[in-house]
Amino acid sequence: MSEKPFFVGYLPAPGPLRTFLLSACVLLIAGLAGAGFLMGAAQDDPGPGAFRFDYGRQTVVGVVEMTPYPVIHVVEGNDRIKPGDSFMMTAGGKSGVDGRAMPLNGQLAQVSGVVLERGDLYMMQVRGGRNGLQAAEGEAPEIAVEPQGRWQLTGEICDGKCLAGAMRPGRGLAHKACANLCLLGDVPPIFVSSQPVLGEEFLLVTGPGGTRLPREAYDFVAQYITAEGELTRRGDLLVWEIDTDTIELSE
Amino acid sequence: MDVAQALVMGMQTWGIIGALVALLFITIGIDRIDEDARGAYIFRPLLIPGVLLIWPIVLWRWWQIETERAAWADRYRPVRKGYGLAVIAMSIGIVVIVITGLSVRQTWPEDITPVQLSEGASK
Repeated sequence: MSEKPFFVGYLPAPGPLRTFLLSACVLLIAGLAGAGFLMGAAQDDPGPGAFRFDYGRQTVVGVVEMTPYPVIHVVEGNDRIKPGDSFMMTAGGKSGVDGRAMPLNGQLAQVSGVVLERGDLYMMQVRGGRNGLQAAEGEAPEIAVEPQGRWQLTGEICDGKCLAGAMRPGRGLAHKACANLCLLGDVPPIFVSSQPVLGEEFLLVTGPGGTRLPREAYDFVAQYITAEGELTRRGDLLVWEIDTDTIELSE
Repeated sequence: MDVAQALVMGMQTWGIIGALVALLFITIGIDRIDEDARGAYIFRPLLIPGVLLIWPIVLWRWWQIETERAAWADRYRPVRKGYGLAVIAMSIGIVVIVITGLSVRQTWPEDITPVQLSEGASK
């Protein structure tokens, strides 16, 4: 009969195998912990974005503008959202509110929902149906539109909702597929500039002439790019009309 | 067709063939090669995801057993013989993929400043 030790799960481990077993366990646990730490340490900081459920439901009145992505320019604010602020809107999940916002374009509307906040970027995930977005009484004031010229910017195209805090990380290559799904679902796209532009780090990015972000740009989502385009301040929000022919991957 | 489309088409083709093989295997094949499975049906749908992925091995083993080309134990030996090599290759592959991914990724261009190319015209 062979003297080779043989491990049986329900019997005590044979002496010669104990050292091997112990070493294998320690190496496995230490190895996995080390690998986990190294991979975690190699990731970029996901940033401070988050759903602000702690703020409670926010309800404000403002002018709806399709840029072509739905933006609200606040006229009647509250404790947190001040008149004069402009922010983007989105629906639950990976979908936008274009269908509900289009009939209200240029009109006063009441919006209600939960805020996503990342630094000076915030967005509202509006409630479902008319509770989230409905026409309001009153005359809509004209929104200031100030062309800021053509700019060459370097940074990253993201989907605004995940970037603002719906996901962590909400940007970067690991998030590319999610970002593109969100953009296909009409979530407004955001350009994160390498350095502030006219005081803003986050810009709403659209296609030339106020069109939707061209499909060619989707290939560059989540990658660091340099591109040119016309910049316009609409209310409190900077809108960059990216020229996709000028997109180049950053070094 | 770009690389992404080719990958998706390849996976779809693999999955469609796998689905056909799974359908044939759980309705016909398994009764022919495994007498213990005869009359047992509830577990069969559980095999579908596995067959979708490894349908070439399923076909190969079905053929081996059906044609009695190998002794009972030998039917399984060739597959198991490759396990050691596959484990080593996959372990090295994972490490190589992670290191390559980390080394080729872009770095955030924090030193590049925005450039204004033209003044804005008043609207």
